Amino acid sequence: MNFPSKLVEDAVNEFAKLPGIGKKTALRLALYLLSQPADNTQNFTTAVSRMRSDIRFCDNCHNIADGDLCGICSNALRDHSTVCVVENLRDVIAIENTEQYRGVFHVLGGVISPIDGIGPEQLRIDSLLEKVKQGTVKEIIMAISPTMEGDTTIFYISRKLQEFNQSIKITSIARGVAFGNELEYVDELTLARSIASRLPYESYMTAK
Amino acid sequence: MQLQNITLTNYKNYVQTNLSFCPTVNLIVGLNGAGKTNLLDAIYSLCACKSYFNYSDGQNIRHDSNFFRIEGNFLVENKSENIVFTYSVQKKKDFMRNRLSYDKLSDHIGLLPLVMIAPDDIALVKEGGELRRKLLDTTLSQLSSDYLHTLILYNKVLQHRNALLKQFAEQRLYDATLLQSFDTQLLATGRTLHQHRQTFIAALNPLLQQHYEHISNGRETVNGHYESALNQKDFALLLADNLTADRLQQRTTEGIHRDDWVFQSNGFALKKYGSQGQQKSFLIALKLAVYQYIYQQKQQQPILLLDDIFDKLDAQRIYQLLRLTSHNPAFGQVFISDTQATRLEAIFHDLKVVYKKFLVEDGVVTVFE
Repeated sequence: MNFPSKLVEDAVNEFAKLPGIGKKTALRLALYLLSQPADNTQNFTTAVSRMRSDIRFCDNCHNIADGDLCGICSNALRDHSTVCVVENLRDVIAIENTEQYRGVFHVLGGVISPIDGIGPEQLRIDSLLEKVKQGTVKEIIMAISPTMEGDTTIFYISRKLQEFNQSIKITSIARGVAFGNELEYVDELTLARSIASRLPYESYMTAK
Repeated sequence: MQLQNITLTNYKNYVQTNLSFCPTVNLIVGLNGAGKTNLLDAIYSLCACKSYFNYSDGQNIRHDSNFFRIEGNFLVENKSENIVFTYSVQKKKDFMRNRLSYDKLSDHIGLLPLVMIAPDDIALVKEGGELRRKLLDTTLSQLSSDYLHTLILYNKVLQHRNALLKQFAEQRLYDATLLQSFDTQLLATGRTLHQHRQTFIAALNPLLQQHYEHISNGRETVNGHYESALNQKDFALLLADNLTADRLQQRTTEGIHRDDWVFQSNGFALKKYGSQGQQKSFLIALKLAVYQYIYQQKQQQPILLLDDIFDKLDAQRIYQLLRLTSHNPAFGQVFISDTQATRLEAIFHDLKVVYKKFLVEDGVVTVFE
């Protein structure tokens, strides 16, 4: 693509580095900013660069935060004895959007995967263990993707927790057929697991 | 099950070819290098999602072209199935069943059962265990999606475990809990695969004996013996015993991935003591036994592909083989390739077999009804 201005070209190239944005969309965005008052662009760039420079991570759960603690950890109304362990920030947002969970989180930053060079020391597992050692946590909910690497991570953390705390309750989110799904379209592996770990009828109805 | 027709576009040396097949025997004749094997491999690829001869998809594109396409119409238990396999340099691989793309290729495996016999298969008897494990895996995967999924999982856990052992050695550390996290999954999947293989090999032996006697008129006792470290010892104990060796060699030294399937004649290893003739007869009997096992399990006739195997067999064995495939109700549609038509046509006339002949010359096919 040829540009009449080096300034436009630089801006387009930066936009095009963002995920899901190609050269044409990048050009559209750059030209749109030019068509608007200069203040709008100023506000936009200030917001983005302040987000990047001022962002903090929660000392307690590693979620994104504006101060030392995130909005969830600093909320006294939430149940601090229940900790939901998730892979990343997006999972926190997804679970928060359900408006069903009243406990707090712990963000690992990934799952154990030796092929990719990710071991326990690359993840925030130590701080989770420290948290549990303080003795206030009663339940750990593992909300980790049901992949082979996810299962390994759950197993590893559970073992580490049980080494010093036998009484802690460790649970995992349910796996199976999604709500509103037609059974015939569910893949066989999921369906087989759903049958293996079926639920009593009464608990199924109340869980809804 | 049968393949009704196939359309090849830019596949190997075929520019554009459309062929209709007959439900019994299809005889494909042509000189060496004409494209007989390519045609059989195209049929194989439609059923198994990849080449029988380990060619990569890119290698199967015709020179000066940037994509290939194979389309086949099958009849499976009186239902028609349209399968399209396309591969292009830009868009990569796409596999469609009745105009819907598969999310996972593993979902296709087993829908269209087939067995191929090719000249190089003699390596199954002569070479190392890897080829025999591959035959076990491809056969069992056609029969059970549970086996295929478990196998994929086992291989993935194994890769992780080996990477971990390597990292332990490089970083001079050791985390027993971390290794155990992988071991639990290796154990669960490994035990399932062992069970499947054990059952299959035991059930195959009587079929193997029966086909061997029929093909060779031999009186020897032949069998396949399942050699697995899991036969004597529980997998958990095995991993515990090998821990030092595993850490030293930085890989998992024992397990399902080291299994072998030892072929024997009168109790002696066929690989070492079998004559050329015995080995060839055994190979054919083995493949036919696999065929019959799939038929028994699925209650459906797999497609049989015989690629150029007649140069290496004597007239007696060829006759016995063709009599079996044309008169035994377990056998359905057969594709046979050969460099010359006369000797096979003579046998077909003798056995009163209905067949269709295709003459292949440099990627161009002439049909004789």
